[in-house]
Formats: sequence, structure tokens, C-alpha cells
Amino acid sequence: MKKQPFTTAADLKAFSQAHHETAAMTAIRMTALQQYLDLPLAEFPKINYRRWLLDEGQPFVANNTSVVAQQPITVNVDQQGTKPATIKLSAEAQATGVVVLDFFTAQAQYPELFAKYYMTLALPKSAHQLAAYHAASVNSGVFIYVPQNVKLTEPLTLNFQQDTTTGQTYVHHVLLVAGEDSDLTILESRQSDDEQVISGNIVEELILEQGAHVHFTAIDRIQTVAYLARRAYLMKNARLDWALGLMNDGDILSDFNTDLVGEGSHTEFKAVAIATGSQSQGVTTRITNYGQHTEGNILQHGVILSDATLIFNGIGHIVRGARDSDAQQENRVLMLSRTARGDANPILLIDENDVRAGHAASVGRVDQSQMYYLMSRGLSKDVAERLVIRGFLGSVLAEIPSAEARDALKRTIERKLIDGQKHRDSAE
Amino acid sequence: MANLTVKNLHVRVDDESEHKEILKGVNLSMNSGEIHAIMGPNGTGKSTLSETIMGNPRYTITEGDIILNGESLLGKPVDERARAGLFLGMQYPAEIMGVTNAEFMRSAINARRPEDNPISVRAFIKELDKNLEILDMNEKMAERYLNQGFSGGEKKRNEILQLLMIKPTFAILDEIDSGLDIDAMKVVAKGVNSMRSDDFGALIITHYERLLDYITPDVVHVMMGGKVVKSGNASLATKLEDEGYAGLRDELGLDVKLTDEE
Ligand SMILES: Nc1ncnc2c1ncn2[C@@H]1O[C@H](COP(=O)(O)OP(=O)(O)O)[C@@H](O)[C@H]1O
Ligand SMILES: [Mg+2]
Repeated sequence: MKKQPFTTAADLKAFSQAHHETAAMTAIRMTALQQYLDLPLAEFPKINYRRWLLDEGQPFVANNTSVVAQQPITVNVDQQGTKPATIKLSAEAQATGVVVLDFFTAQAQYPELFAKYYMTLALPKSAHQLAAYHAASVNSGVFIYVPQNVKLTEPLTLNFQQDTTTGQTYVHHVLLVAGEDSDLTILESRQSDDEQVISGNIVEELILEQGAHVHFTAIDRIQTVAYLARRAYLMKNARLDWALGLMNDGDILSDFNTDLVGEGSHTEFKAVAIATGSQSQGVTTRITNYGQHTEGNILQHGVILSDATLIFNGIGHIVRGARDSDAQQENRVLMLSRTARGDANPILLIDENDVRAGHAASVGRVDQSQMYYLMSRGLSKDVAERLVIRGFLGSVLAEIPSAEARDALKRTIERKLIDGQKHRDSAE
Repeated sequence: MANLTVKNLHVRVDDESEHKEILKGVNLSMNSGEIHAIMGPNGTGKSTLSETIMGNPRYTITEGDIILNGESLLGKPVDERARAGLFLGMQYPAEIMGVTNAEFMRSAINARRPEDNPISVRAFIKELDKNLEILDMNEKMAERYLNQGFSGGEKKRNEILQLLMIKPTFAILDEIDSGLDIDAMKVVAKGVNSMRSDDFGALIITHYERLLDYITPDVVHVMMGGKVVKSGNASLATKLEDEGYAGLRDELGLDVKLTDEE
């Protein structure tokens, strides 16, 4: 990150006004810009991203709309770069009052929800420099609101594609508010091209009100450099299931955070990652048990090929007073080349006695007796290796509710592994 | 007719501490259409021989050769040997999480086919159902993770299932009968017997004569002290059963210590 502000107050104000933003939003931007240089860098154990170009590109460029056809589902959102989102709502979604709006439209229509939840709880705008950068310069996104008691039977699909050819930074925000006792499934897909090194700063905030159930699947295929935050705030008895496929090709700083604030709230976090080529992926997954009887479990499995780097931090923090809480985690990394770098780093911070907590971690290589067994049936080394890895990454595949999304992740894993093996085998 | 020949094979295993020679000049030749049995006391090198033929990288050949249809297998990795027609039913098969049995067997079959012509799902399932039935195995076994949590008997049956699916030219079955009750052993024997043809040969390694009551061998070899010390027809197995390894050793005047001896 650079040491000087990335824009001027005048330019920022002009941008905000050109988008007909609310006065509140303009004020948030201006304050964030002011605070930006004074705020600390976001700290992630064992991940040094100081030299990453996380603010590369022009902050503000005018844009056009585009429309992408899609098959009908409950809600489908397509957003190309920083253009306004193309949104389709099924009859079911419309009838139940589900709201899905482009970021700029939403802030004027739902000022109270924005005041309450936009960069206040899940990722406070003054948390660190990356958050302030986001709050100041957000230039695209969507807002999703599922009202109280609405139970959606079909998933909401979100497709976001960063377009680096515009030269514009991609500062994208998703604000999802799941109302009390609502129930929904999100299938998100994030992609980018790799025409230019243009940074992304992506923040997704998931607010689960009392009793809300959200199943969140995402497949990330970002090819440029990005800060990718998925931050959730859970109220009483809310439940959030994460299933993430981190199939990025760029340098990605992932910040996955779940705050179990309400009593009895519960999250299951599962992620798989493949790092190839010379990329670095730094993944920090933190769950904090604030409420009593809360439960948070982390499972992260990753594979590294070539000279890529993959770091899994798993942080389980049980604060004082969160009695009868549970924090478990498992972080495992397999290294498939001699030059791969990886770490599986579990951190348990326990400030309360009446809890259950535990962790398992490993950094290893593919088991040679397994390879021998598979190869003794005629499978080539590469095919055998991919089978073992697919098994190793299977925990997240099994968790994905839609067969289509599951197949998409399977294909992506296969493709990324084949590419990685080719690259490695030609280097060795 | 296919042929597998082992010539004056000397093998060493590299332990952390010692380099010990386990096979001390094994000779063996078999043709497709034949069933051979190797019997021998524990610790004599039977598994070492089968793993070495298959190409397990943990064993080092210091002398001799392994020849399949006139071509030396030395230097060829295990997967190439498998595709050339060898199969080893292992004494201790690996367990692999997250990979289903069916998925694995399909990959193994496809590894022997041209890349653009994989086996069709229908043909695969038909073959699988047929073989599951021969082996009296539940269909669910195919969808379970490879050997994961299988009982000893289930693992053995699963090795034979793979044998029936892959249809190699030569199968080496290492103590496929150990830990099986008589009914399970009959099922395994039925599976192997169903493979019998002019295009298939098997090398059955066993400690006991019992299995050979159900799979009648054409040739029986006795291994002791890292060598084949005697070969004969099926009656040799019966003789061994009556006289024991010690009896045969003394008759041949060999200086070999049997680990089973007190
Ligand atoms: N991987 C190995 N590492 C060390 N020693 C081994 C290994 N495999 C076999 N041996 C030794 O070689 C000898 C022969 O073993 P093995 O081939 O398993 O005999 P068998 O199958 O006839 O019982 C034994 O003394 C055994 O301890
Ligand atoms: Mg043995």
C-alpha cells in the first residue's frame, strides 16, 4: 500500500455526487479518506503483504450498464466490473419481499439498514487501512435483504466479474441482511481476468439477525491481486454455513471473519484452496465466540504446487463470558513440489474456562504408500496425485448444496491441478 | 501366450539402520493359463518378491532381472508395469479418504484405454454389478471410500474385485487368504477361479495349504531363506501340510532358521 492518499477529497466528493449518493454515504467516504493514513495496517499472522499492490488502478471512472441473460432462479445477480448489477428476481422472491439492489440504488432506498449495518458491525470502516480504503472508494456492489420469516427454497446466485481492462480499481461491496428466522442459500462466483494488475478490495458483510439460517457457497477465481473480506455478524441462534473454494490465481489476502455475538449462534466454516504458479494466498479465518452456548468450527484444507505460497491461519477466540462455547479447527496443507511454501497455523485464544476447544494442523506431502497403491493399478503419477488431492479437498465439495456448483468446483479443482502439475513437471 | 520370468533375483531393503539382503537369487517362470503358488514360512521374502515384481520403490534389486514377455521390467515405474499387465493384490492395501471405490476402479480401467475413449458409465456399471455378485459384495461397497474403514476381510475382497474389474494378464495375490474365514475364502477363490483362462496367470502366495484346496495350482514353489528351494505339482502343498516347513528344510539339508520356530 502506498503512503500517500489514493485520491483527493474533491475527486471523492465529485464521484459520490455523480452517483447521487446519500449525504450519509458521502460523509462516510470523506471520513474514511481522512483517517486512511493514520489507521494501522490490517495484521494477519505470518502473512506479509506490505509489498502487494493492493491499491493499484484508478479509483474512479465513469461506467455503463450491461445486461446478461440468465436462467431463472430465485435471485440472480450478475455484475460486470463496476457496472451496475443486472438483477433478476423470481416470482417467489418478489412475492416474499426479497430486496436485491445495486449498491448505489440501495443506499438511498434503505438508509436505515445502511446506517445500522454498512461497515459498522461486520467490518467497521475504521478497523484498519484496508477497511478505510474500502469505505472511501467503494465503486460497485449489491445489497440483499431477505425479510423476516422468509424461507427461500432456491438459491440466490451471485456472479461477480472484475474487469481489469478498464484500469479501474475494483472496490466491491456486498451487504447481505438476513432478517429474523429467514432461511437462504447463496451461491457466489467471483472471477477476474488477468489483463492488467489492477487491485481488488472486496468486502462482503453478512448480517444474520436472530434465528436466520444462511448457507454460503463461493467459488473464487480471481487472477489479479486482491483483499477479499467475508465478514459475518450473527445474532441470537443464527446459523451460518460456509463452503468456500479458493481457486484464485492471483495474490489474494483473504480475511474471513465470523462474530458469534448472539447466544446460541453457530457457524461451520469449510474452505479448500489450491495455490499454483508463483502466487501467494494468505487466508486468515477467524471465529470469535462472544455469546454463550456458541459454536464455531473451522476446517481448511489446501494444496500447493510449484513455488506458490499458501498460508492458513485459523483463529478461534472465545472471549470471557462466552460460557459453554465450542471452538474447533483443523488446518491442513499438502505440498506437491519442493519449492512450495505453506503453513497451517492454528491459534486458539481462550479467555473463558467453561468451553471446549481444540485444533489439528499439518503440513505434509502426499502419502507415498497411497500413491504406490493407486499407481499399482495403472494410474499415472499425475492422475493418482489428483485423486488423492480430490479426496483431501472433498470435505468442501460434499458441503455444497447444488450439484451444479459442486461440479463447477470439481472442474475448477481438476483444471487448476492439471495446470499446476504441468507447470511443476516442466520446471523439475 | 504371455510369460513372466524372474531370474536370479537379489533384493535388498533399505531400512534406516541396515541394508539387508532378503532375496538371494530367486528363479521363477510362469505362463498365462497357469496358476502357480508360492508357499513359505513367515519372513522368508514372499511379500518382498511380489512387491519387487510390481515395482515398489522401497525395494532395491542388486542382481538379476524380471522379464515380462521378453522385456525387462527393471527401471520401469509401478504404473507402467501395471499397464503392461501386472496386478498385485496386496497384503496391506492403502486407505484413501474421499476417493470412492467405483471412481478409483473407473480411473484404473481408463488408464488402460485411449484418453479419448473412456469406458461408458453403463458398461462400467454392468461389469461392476456382475463382479460384485460373484464376490457376494454389497453394492454400497462401490460407493465407499477406497478401503477406508474396511474390515480385513472386506479389504481382501476389494482387492479381488479390482482384479476382476482390471483383468490383468498376471495377478500376484499376496496372502489373500489371511484373516478370512472359510466362507469368505471360498468367495475369494470363486473370484480368482472366474478369471481362469488362457490369457490369465496367477501367482498365489500363501502361508497355508488351505486356500489351495479351492484354487488348484498347476505348480507349487516353496520359498525359504530368500530362495525357491523346491518346485512341484499340487501334491507338494499337501506334503508340506503334513510335514511342515521344518520337515522339508531338513529333508533338503538347508541351513535356514524359521521365524515360527521356538
Ligand atoms: N520394508 C521393509 N523394511 C524393513 N524390513 C523389511 C521390509 N520388508 C520386509 N522386510 C524384512 O524382510 C524379510 C522378509 O519379509 P517379507 O517379504 O514380508 O516376508 P514374508 O512375506 O515371506 O513373510 C523380513 O525379515 C522382514 O522383516
Ligand atoms: Mg508377506
